[in-house]
Amino acid sequence: MEDLLETLARGNPTEVKVLLASAALALAVYQLVLIAVGYGKVRPPFLSPGPASFAHRAVGDAIVVILAFTALTCVSVYGVEDDAAAHIAAALGLLGVLTVKIVVVRWWHSMNRFLPILGISVWVLLALTWVTSAGIFLADS
Amino acid sequence: MSERAVQLIGSFLVAAAIVAIAIVVVTAQFGPTSAAEQESLEERQEQRLEQREELREERQELREQRQDNGGSG
Repeated sequence: MEDLLETLARGNPTEVKVLLASAALALAVYQLVLIAVGYGKVRPPFLSPGPASFAHRAVGDAIVVILAFTALTCVSVYGVEDDAAAHIAAALGLLGVLTVKIVVVRWWHSMNRFLPILGISVWVLLALTWVTSAGIFLADS
Repeated sequence: MSERAVQLIGSFLVAAAIVAIAIVVVTAQFGPTSAAEQESLEERQEQRLEQREELREERQELREQRQDNGGSG
């Protein structure tokens, strides 16, 4: 798996991982805007709540795919290192909360009232995961 | 095309633009060359150094041969 990812990244797995994580974080910020429109908290004249909610769901699916690939690259290339405890904790928290959010959105509709707090938790954990890895890498470079 | 479809396409285009901007900004932070390019650059430099070293040795051998020939003749 490590060789495959190295080949896909053309020998730059760290850079590809940082790029993907940064794109996911940027999209996550956009997600906050979309869902604010979706819930009617913000009412721009050019975007209705319906399309905003649909776009939020579709972009969220794309983010999940990006994060899954990023996590796979991270674990395959770097494994579990002691000096990345904060990154691992944030990433595991993100994985857990994201899983719960997907379950609530798709099947457990009686828990829909918790979606806003789950969404904010996903965003905060994603930001923490990014800061403790990609953020440090970019600051060093 | 309905207004809803236009709004949806617009939302996706904004998402694509955000990804493109993120890629450009982060790539700019990496610098002009990737790790693979830097490695191949280092390899080429090493090859050049080796070639120069070989040429130097050949010249040295030729010089020594000439000196030997001159001494014996």
